Amino acid sequence: MIDFIQFSVSGLLIGGLYALVAASVVLVFKSTQMVSIAHGQFLAFGALFFWIFIELGCPIWLSLALTFVLVGMMGFIVQHFTIRPLIGRHLFTAFIMTFAIFMFLDGIFQLFLGGQSRTLPALIANDVLRLGGVAVSKTLVVSFLASLAAFLAIATLFAKRTIFGLGMRAVAEDHRLAQSTGISVKNVFVFIWIVSALVAAMAGIAIVNVMDIQYPLPYIGVKGLIVAMFGGMESIGGALLAGLILGVLENISAGYLDPILGGGVREVAAYVVLLVILMVKPYGLFGLPRIERV
Amino acid sequence: MRESGIFDESYEKDMAIVRTRRHWAALIGTIAFLLLIPLIVSNYYVNFLSNIFITVIAALGLQIVTGYCGQISLGQPAFIAVGAFTSAILTAHFHLSFWLALPLSGVAAGLVGLIGGAPSLRIKGFYLAMATVAIFYLIVWLITHLKITGGTGGLTVPPPQIGNMVFDTDKRMYYIVMIVTLIMTFYARNLVRTRVGRAFIAIRDNDIAAEVMGINLYYYKLLAFFISCFYAGVAGSLMAHWYLMVHSDQYTIVQAVFYIGMIIIGGMGSIPGTYFGVILVRLIDEVVLFCCPLLSSTFPWVGRAPAASLGVSAFGLVLILFILYEPNGLAYRWEVIKASYRIYPFKN
Repeated sequence: MIDFIQFSVSGLLIGGLYALVAASVVLVFKSTQMVSIAHGQFLAFGALFFWIFIELGCPIWLSLALTFVLVGMMGFIVQHFTIRPLIGRHLFTAFIMTFAIFMFLDGIFQLFLGGQSRTLPALIANDVLRLGGVAVSKTLVVSFLASLAAFLAIATLFAKRTIFGLGMRAVAEDHRLAQSTGISVKNVFVFIWIVSALVAAMAGIAIVNVMDIQYPLPYIGVKGLIVAMFGGMESIGGALLAGLILGVLENISAGYLDPILGGGVREVAAYVVLLVILMVKPYGLFGLPRIERV
Repeated sequence: MRESGIFDESYEKDMAIVRTRRHWAALIGTIAFLLLIPLIVSNYYVNFLSNIFITVIAALGLQIVTGYCGQISLGQPAFIAVGAFTSAILTAHFHLSFWLALPLSGVAAGLVGLIGGAPSLRIKGFYLAMATVAIFYLIVWLITHLKITGGTGGLTVPPPQIGNMVFDTDKRMYYIVMIVTLIMTFYARNLVRTRVGRAFIAIRDNDIAAEVMGINLYYYKLLAFFISCFYAGVAGSLMAHWYLMVHSDQYTIVQAVFYIGMIIIGGMGSIPGTYFGVILVRLIDEVVLFCCPLLSSTFPWVGRAPAASLGVSAFGLVLILFILYEPNGLAYRWEVIKASYRIYPFKN
């Protein structure tokens, strides 16, 4: 029983980080109907830039600010040169385009990393907190709380009903139709790509506090997409719930099944969950089913 | 469009794949060239060609399911792996002949592909793409955790054999690979103009409209996945007997994006386009391999061994440029060139 609680609690804390990654994917989908794999790279580069500035001896607040500026610029540049020309083209083209961006940035990330794994120096003393028999790392708790705070900030930001937000929802319905009603689709794209890149960078910074910067880091973006699909692509609240559920499921299955099946269950668990969800409820927990016409 | 002054006077002529005398001459010339080239060039180039041919087989499979039937699949490397491991197990454990293992591994991959294609009955678009990614990871996980596939150690594979002749050198293997590729290309070229191929195209263009026309979506979608994975399995079997070993690390999700990229660069829904895409992507790899030592000697700060990462970046950049500026792929340019040749005295 104590094992079960231990697995659940650490899974829950990891799940909070997944939820933040998923939020960046949900933001893009909610306002432009595009699905992005590329946010895994914003996450990875956010982590990398933060590590570089900390290593250079900048204080935490300055490193954070500089990282956000750089990743925001990255988001803008990527959006300006690759996504904006696709306004009005088939949405699937944009999906493949994000794969291409992912590959392009992936090579650059590996080049920066140089085949090594980097560890962020501990920003806070890494104690182990004990509650009853359950042990959790203090950095993980702090990362979880920080990402939860960031998540709530986004949720409240997007809960407001402004004219601009209404425009975003119109863009999500149909790019060209929105353009013809006088909504600046380009501005929506600029805004949402910068904001979602920043969200992904925040997630990256929260994640590198608990794990090393190494090559598979960008692939957490894929996990974020899975969480977003689980929760429903339009639902920010769904992303939080799905992230927490996935974190717990992953940790519990890894904890119990790894000794029996011989390891590697953690990587596969998310995909099994994804397949089950797609079979049972393809639009996720809180997603909107789309009705198609010929 | 028909060439100026060429008229089809019989049904046989109308249906022929190879139409004119020049066409025949070009075909026979190309085959003769491919047969003779190992006698002239070194092993390096022969291996380069073998690599292209094996990739073409797998890409043709993806072309059928994605380019023609419109069902996006990011699981192609996993199905190649299924073919490779089936072939390895059949020849190494059960001492079956390679010539029997080759079609059997195709069928095995096809049957796994039916499971992989099952989500396409319910979902489409990027949902289906992510489902195939999930299936990719499940298959790779199974391969590394089953006893019969050798776990993380992989398997060694015996070379193919006819009587006393062992196909153990690169040049001998090249001939098997080339001939299988030609057969598979012919089959794909023929398939896409039959009733089945037309059904695939109808499903790609609009699946609801296709269903209204009386096309059985379940049957044809699963058939597309079966054929596609059959191709992948054959490619995997050839790959296993070419490398003489199989290992689960050879099959990565990055390759899945490469295959999709190849058919986009080449042109969706075009058999010659598949060749163009594969050749272009493989050439980029070669150029990067060639440039990397230069780069690391000129700029020491990038460090050594950036070849893999730069290759991925270069591929990403080319794919971005193609999606932006040539969304119909190289096959479109090819059609333009062909049209201007056919109506030669006149201009477009």
